[in-house]
Amino acid sequence: MTDLDRTIHEPARLRIVTILSGVDVADFNFLLETLGLTKGNLSSHIDRLERAGYVEVTKSFKGKMPHTEFRLTSDGREALAAYWDSLDAIRALRDNTGSEQ
Amino acid sequence: MSQSSEPRDDPRQIAKWAERYARSRTIPFLVQWVFILLIVVVLGALSQGALTAWRHEQAGVQWACVVAIAVVTLGLLWFSVARWGQQQIWRISQWVYGKEGYAAYRGAGAAAGAAKRMRWVPAAAALLALYHLVGAVLAGLHMLPMKLLLPFSAPCMILFLGVMIVSQRLGFWAWLWPVLYGLHAVLLAAGAPLPFVERWEFVHIIVAVFGWGALSMVVGHLYSRYALRRLKKLARSGLSETGADAPGPGPEPGGDGA
Repeated sequence: MTDLDRTIHEPARLRIVTILSGVDVADFNFLLETLGLTKGNLSSHIDRLERAGYVEVTKSFKGKMPHTEFRLTSDGREALAAYWDSLDAIRALRDNTGSEQ
Repeated sequence: MSQSSEPRDDPRQIAKWAERYARSRTIPFLVQWVFILLIVVVLGALSQGALTAWRHEQAGVQWACVVAIAVVTLGLLWFSVARWGQQQIWRISQWVYGKEGYAAYRGAGAAAGAAKRMRWVPAAAALLALYHLVGAVLAGLHMLPMKLLLPFSAPCMILFLGVMIVSQRLGFWAWLWPVLYGLHAVLLAAGAPLPFVERWEFVHIIVAVFGWGALSMVVGHLYSRYALRRLKKLARSGLSETGADAPGPGPEPGGDGA
């Protein structure tokens, strides 16, 4: 049986890395608004992804306002691709088992 | 990732809509566009003033207009390259986009090569400007009919726009501009019954440069609204029932909360 990456498998984190896989860079407010999470939740999910080496966090200032940007690392991109492959393999296995029964 | 045969509710669609949204954020372009348009209007008025003063032999007014043209042109160049100009565009864009945040698409692995790739842009823009200056001089000397200024401009402009669209990986909306530009030029060259004749023929080049450009950006902006709506719907579906809203640590005070 194919193992799924538990870091990515969590629904909110899966959505974060999937969004980041479609863009070059996104900021905190974009992820917050798009996902509809609380600031605390988003921060904790990002923290987990950053610790896993999947997301790169860049903090800066735009004028006097702090601005935080995120981009998917190459490790994150590979992990997401592997995740989809694993998920497809599980689905295929499930479909084959279902048709045999 | 194989994404060709995904159903419409597949989470992988989130990446597609995020990309479509990021490639269609046109407000920064529109802000620059309005600024350039204002500068062109000012330059046009000053040029007209200088010409009128020259005809009436008012040397003082004529030189004042020439100096003002030089100052405005330098101001435009400064705004285009200065950090302050970029900050103003960012501030206005953020104000227009409200709280939806920022996302950008430059293509996979583009960040490293982007600066290197874009070095040729000022050179290409200078060549484009020179080509159009030649066209304007020819039109001024009555060696090129004003009506044919747009067909004269079209091959060079369409090539430039096409290269810019591909290199900057802009969305489909951006192609509207060269397509409409080319169509307008062909209709004009073919003698189609278009408005703006005789002394108003110069309006065609203005419509092609500013009108079709602005139209394509407005279409891009409207598409970005649609893409964002689709993205939000997909990204938020199923989150609340899956425990994603489990309590986490509180946000940092102030700023973006990250």
